[in-house]
Amino acid sequence: MVFNSIEYVIFLPVVVLLFYLLPQKSRWLMLLVASCVFYMWFVPKYILILFATIIIDYSAGILMEKHADDPKKKKTYFVISVVSTLLVLFIFKYLGFVNDNFVWLCQKLGLNVRTTVKIILPIGLSFHTFQSMSYVIEVYRGNQKAERHFGYYSLYVMFFPQLVTGPIERPGNLLRQLHEHKEFRYENISQGMRLVLFGLFIKMVVADQLGAYVDLVYANPSDYNSWSVMLAMVFYSFQIYGDFFGYSTIALGSAKLMGFNISDNFRTPYLSKNIAEFWHRWHISLSTWFRDYVYFPMGGSRVKFGRWVYNIMVVFVLSGIWHGAAWTFLLWGFAHGILHIVEKSLRDRCPIKETRPKWLNISLDIIRVIKTFVLVTLFWVMFRAADFANMCDIFVAAVSNFGGGEQLTVAPSVWLYLGLFILSDLLLFNSRFDIWCEGKCFILRWFIYAVFLFMVIACSNVDNFPFIYFQF
Amino acid sequence: MKKLLIRILVFFALIVVMNWVYSKWFYEKDLQKYSDIVNLSRHVVEDSCRIIYLGESSNHTCGWAENDKRKISDMIWSYFPDIRCGDITKDASHAQVYYNMLKIIPKESSVETVVVTMNLRSFDAGWIYSELETALQKQLVLLKDYPPLVNRFLLAFKAYPIRSKSEWNTMAREHRERERLQFPYDFEWETTGQWDNAMMKQGVVDSLGQRDDALTSLACTYISTYAFLIHDDNPRVKDFDAIVDLCRERGWNLVFNLLAENVDKANELVGEDLVYLINKNRDYLVQRYGSLEHVVLVDNLDVVRDASFIDRNWTTEHYYAEGRQIIAHRIAMALLHNKFIK
Repeated sequence: MVFNSIEYVIFLPVVVLLFYLLPQKSRWLMLLVASCVFYMWFVPKYILILFATIIIDYSAGILMEKHADDPKKKKTYFVISVVSTLLVLFIFKYLGFVNDNFVWLCQKLGLNVRTTVKIILPIGLSFHTFQSMSYVIEVYRGNQKAERHFGYYSLYVMFFPQLVTGPIERPGNLLRQLHEHKEFRYENISQGMRLVLFGLFIKMVVADQLGAYVDLVYANPSDYNSWSVMLAMVFYSFQIYGDFFGYSTIALGSAKLMGFNISDNFRTPYLSKNIAEFWHRWHISLSTWFRDYVYFPMGGSRVKFGRWVYNIMVVFVLSGIWHGAAWTFLLWGFAHGILHIVEKSLRDRCPIKETRPKWLNISLDIIRVIKTFVLVTLFWVMFRAADFANMCDIFVAAVSNFGGGEQLTVAPSVWLYLGLFILSDLLLFNSRFDIWCEGKCFILRWFIYAVFLFMVIACSNVDNFPFIYFQF
Repeated sequence: MKKLLIRILVFFALIVVMNWVYSKWFYEKDLQKYSDIVNLSRHVVEDSCRIIYLGESSNHTCGWAENDKRKISDMIWSYFPDIRCGDITKDASHAQVYYNMLKIIPKESSVETVVVTMNLRSFDAGWIYSELETALQKQLVLLKDYPPLVNRFLLAFKAYPIRSKSEWNTMAREHRERERLQFPYDFEWETTGQWDNAMMKQGVVDSLGQRDDALTSLACTYISTYAFLIHDDNPRVKDFDAIVDLCRERGWNLVFNLLAENVDKANELVGEDLVYLINKNRDYLVQRYGSLEHVVLVDNLDVVRDASFIDRNWTTEHYYAEGRQIIAHRIAMALLHNKFIK
């Protein structure tokens, strides 16, 4: 089930109503059944994979706790759990990619190998496997008590608002909340509905409208002039942001309706002054996952320069591969890693002088924000391109076709939606829509709701644009 | 509680205002963008047509080398030169689409009689679960009976079946594997799927006794297309029933044009078992719609011979001029005999 579907419009109020009508002891069961229905709406049989991961990690948690005094056994259970979870991820996500490259390599070496692997990736596999792994790691480290109740643990992995596209939750936040008694509070309903409305606006009105233009150009980049190709690149930056931020905001709102606070995934990322800050503001739950479970255990930044470069590259390349099994994703991660290292090195050599006048610092900050946005936009081409050749076509078309080619004609209304989105991003700098609304007077608030609601209904793109991160 | 009540009231007031704004400034533009089939119905109203013909590609498809390229509907109108007539032709459409097109025509219009194409294949799973359904259903959302804003809401939240081609094909295949065939005598296969598979294995042989793959494939297509039985719960039956009710309510005479199928070819490739099912379905439709007041069903099912069918390697209702003329003549005669032309 997707958030911007009529099914979800019916499903969510029913679940919220049942949640508050049922006693605390049966809520977990209702939420688990609802989450199963939500997931099975896509491809029912894939729930078996999800349950296999849940059973392995649930058992591993208990066994690790049981053998807390025996580090060897504890580590064995930990390794079994992590390896089996990663194996599931590998088979469904990377086996086809590895096979294709293996076949290509063999053919280059003159060997006649023609194996084919066709496995459809279950929706949201990368998200829930990482969420499940974070539980196992936390239990192993002793930061989290093993969950004895299978239902609560299953719900922790399957909680429908964040099941397929995150945010990737930690047990310390979500699992704890699932046990808490949630009273009906008007504030939760009000904040939740605000978030859902705002999320729908940026997904259905902004991202999907921009997506139509992006698809046109990316399908045939050589048909368009360079300005149009560059415009499509910028549009994609806002499309992917609107799409993913929209989804995360609806997820946040859906959970909030039942009193659950799940983690913020975005904090105005395009206002970042450098790539490091961008990753503190973009897909925060994934960045912090890699930071806590990969980067820090490798030594983080408290190591020699060479080792630090290695650590950074490992994290970014892994992040790239996490997004998709293709060379373009790997390259995207690699590019971000290199840029991060270059920027950090330059910052260390030329530290910001605090004695500069304020206006100069502000001007430099604006330039830095623009520079970061431009670089991130260039890197998104690797992310969006269908393959390596398409990526090259886009880059070539962006610099070599100023004279000829078609001009992308953008409807004035689309500029209005984009302008509204950018304005909202500026207004919500380091804040969130539901919290920002709190301080506003009744009439202004309801005027904003009315505008957003009307736009969601009357101005949204009616073509089917699946959430981009569903493919991961 | 008072706080909540005020907000609920404000919300509904906003919805009313939004509906007004949307209807006044946005709805028509959206209709032209997403549901332009509405114009087909509007044209017949604007032209003050008294008789209208609703059909799909069978109405306008003709042989590329033919001199007479007239539509079936034009051939019918040639019998009534003094009467204003019009057609609503939309490829791949079916009873549900016709119903929605007719619903747009107001009762006060000059329409007196409607001729609706009844395509036997449209009752089959292959058409019910056709990949074209996503686009067709999407076009109908804005034409629903709800206020315009609600229709736009349904369109925005994709209240129509979005499925890929393979998903539609799977649904059709599963339907054919599920549905049981019934014969008054012993028959080897229980479902269309089994029969289709058996034909593929067995194959059609040519005059030299060799397996002919092209003919085998065509025979399988005939089986998967016509080997089914229409039941009361078939969605097309419900849609045709709705058309009958709508015409009755609007005071229109209704003529169902049961289109000709290539029964000769079905008999030649597959045999009498398939012809039995085709006839059984025809009987069902004649029985259901043939004896209603102000409704006439013109049974054209086997009036066109094999040579008059344009498509030789697929099952369609595309006829050369001779075939179109036969159907047009029979419809025109039905209109006259039943005194639907005043």
